[in-house]
Amino acid sequence: SDEVPKRKRKENEVEQEIEETPQEKKLRLAKLYLEQLREEEDKKVEDEAFESDLIAGRLKEDVLEQKGKLQRPLAGGLVAPDPIEIRLLRGHKLSVTCLCITPDEKHIFSASKDCSIIKWDVGSGKKVHKILGGRKGTEARHVGHTAHILCMAISSDGKYLATGDMNKLIMIWEAATCKHLYKFTGHKDAVSGLAFRRGTHDLYSASHDRSVKVWNVDENAYVETLFGHQDVITALDCLGRERCVTAGGRDRTLRVWKIAEETQLVFHGHEGSIDCVQLINEEHMVSGGDDGCLCVWSVGKKKPVSVVKQAHGVHGNAGLKEPCWVSSVAALHNSDTVASGSHNAMVQLWKCGQGFRGLDPLFTIPVTGFVNSLKFSTSGKFLVAGVGQEHRLGRWWRVKDAKNGLYIIPLKRQNREAETEQ
Amino acid sequence: MPRPSVCLALSTSEKKQTAQKHKPSPESPHEVTFKKSKIKSPVTKRASNVEENGSDDEGDASEMEKNFALLTQKVSLQAPQDEISGGVSDEDVTGERHQAVCSNTSGSDEDENVSKPARGHGVGDELCPKDDFTKDLSEMSFEKVLQLQNKMGTKAYKKIAYGTMKNRQTGETVKQLSKHRPQEISAKKTVPFLRKVVPVKKTILRDPRFDDLSGEFKPEVFNQTYKFINEIRQREAEMVKKKMKKVKSNIKREELKYLLQRMENQERGRQRQEQYRQKDLQFKRKQRELVQQGHRPFYLKKSDKKKLELAEKYSQLKKGGKLENFLSKKRKRNAIKDRRRMPHQKK
Repeated sequence: SDEVPKRKRKENEVEQEIEETPQEKKLRLAKLYLEQLREEEDKKVEDEAFESDLIAGRLKEDVLEQKGKLQRPLAGGLVAPDPIEIRLLRGHKLSVTCLCITPDEKHIFSASKDCSIIKWDVGSGKKVHKILGGRKGTEARHVGHTAHILCMAISSDGKYLATGDMNKLIMIWEAATCKHLYKFTGHKDAVSGLAFRRGTHDLYSASHDRSVKVWNVDENAYVETLFGHQDVITALDCLGRERCVTAGGRDRTLRVWKIAEETQLVFHGHEGSIDCVQLINEEHMVSGGDDGCLCVWSVGKKKPVSVVKQAHGVHGNAGLKEPCWVSSVAALHNSDTVASGSHNAMVQLWKCGQGFRGLDPLFTIPVTGFVNSLKFSTSGKFLVAGVGQEHRLGRWWRVKDAKNGLYIIPLKRQNREAETEQ
Repeated sequence: MPRPSVCLALSTSEKKQTAQKHKPSPESPHEVTFKKSKIKSPVTKRASNVEENGSDDEGDASEMEKNFALLTQKVSLQAPQDEISGGVSDEDVTGERHQAVCSNTSGSDEDENVSKPARGHGVGDELCPKDDFTKDLSEMSFEKVLQLQNKMGTKAYKKIAYGTMKNRQTGETVKQLSKHRPQEISAKKTVPFLRKVVPVKKTILRDPRFDDLSGEFKPEVFNQTYKFINEIRQREAEMVKKKMKKVKSNIKREELKYLLQRMENQERGRQRQEQYRQKDLQFKRKQRELVQQGHRPFYLKKSDKKKLELAEKYSQLKKGGKLENFLSKKRKRNAIKDRRRMPHQKK
């Protein structure tokens, strides 16, 4: 007699599933989400001060994040750090080309022109793991890269690390143990940009063959390719939405790829090659080019919202002055702080104006050499700069008195909040 | 079985209706007939609906009769109003009637039907009658559509059938928004291998002869601006003459002779053209003067023009003394031609 009611229940459940309309499904998912938020907030209440309408606050934050509105106006409170507090982590033999910070802010991965990848511990400044680079002909037997590593990315849960090199390969590593997992082949030229979509294990890769490829790391699978750039793609970035932004070198365009809809939005703006791009929030991005311009863009306008020309000054002999190339940019997520690096011996910090309409310089941090990569930590506590004697893409100049390594720059805030350093 | 009963009902109600009609409006028989046709259309629809439902109950038929009677009552109520407003309200009336039909088929209460005539024309009915209209239009036969069109007038009919321009014009507002927005293009089209490094402009080939930018051909302007070419031609003719004297081989001399002759002929032709133009201009100037003086202008026929030219030619030949020569040659030529055209005589 028990079986009969069970079967009936199952039938009812099945019926319910079939009968559920999309609106009801949305309602059910929304209720689940609210439950989740409630649980999280309940946990937080014990630690932090109690505020009313916590869930409403969280929902509001989510909406603002989706719309790309500013949430953390931190730039006003930042203070230039003392040069003593800036730490240099040395270990690479040649110029550092790219780096990424783990989401828990405890480790930093960096790669350089000597084809090696080093995992650093932020607190102690020591090397945790080093993946050596192999020589040019040893691709078959060597576990690791044998050509310059141009880009790397770490997933938002800190599980996978992806690195791309000039040998058209993308290597997937397990971030915790630095164990080699997969090798993605498919690109026809050097891989120049990698990014994981937040909250997922979808990997987007951009290459010098002017295509953007989508991969699924969980299933070790290639998903699709997107075309559109007219020249090599120099950088790629992605946040939580299923879209990524790429900088296409000499074709002077930035493209936002809507992957689900298989379309692209084209933005025109720089005068020279666009070399680096980072997303500030879901609707705004910042880019730097070899014309020395630093541009802030909004997804709704095809021209940049604000432009700073000669962001790092000029260099060269008298009469042959040329603007310093902006070799890397970084943006603090969901805030109004932007950092840019070049080879004029300083990292410049900027504050975005109201509605991202203006860029005001805040202060500079002295760093000699080519700043090939800049990354803010997610909480904004420190800024990491990957520095080398040469530009990451070639050897146009060589700064002899520069040291190849990582600079960890702590960011202090003037406010009453704790001045935590790392 | 229900169909014949419905028809009977129609006939009876029609008689009733016509009887009612004649009292208020005896002077407009055509309207009566129109009303009849109007009634017929809902009935045909009704019949089709009956077929669709497939209900053979007599209860249904009786209900339909009742509704139909109510419809006819409504018609009679609206009839005097129609007379006043004329054909403009016809569409509203038909709309309401169609709506009534729809509501009847859905099985609404009789109270609703009663309350409907109390409503004004076309109050809140703009959307519903339109949808009904297009549906009914598709169901009606072409003859009836034409009749409807004749009644309403093509403008009103088109407005309802196809919608106004305001509804259709939505492209402009969308365009304004996208002026500042980034361009959205497909991400699946492969890019050609060759890269656009420098923007190359495509040269547009223009033939100035057929281009509007060159303007209209004006002979006097042309002669003025390209006067120098005549001098070049004269110089070339002199050069050819000189070369002819110098050259030794006969063949080449022949060639040069022909060339010289061509050049001289062309020059003569050009001068003749100039003369004709000048004469035309003179004539036109004379006419203009006459018009200014107040006389009416007259235009020569082509044959008259030719006669004048011939007369001038003769006078010139006479001056030169070559008239007889010219005339004899012409007579000979004409004689030969005439002889050819004459019928042959057999021996």
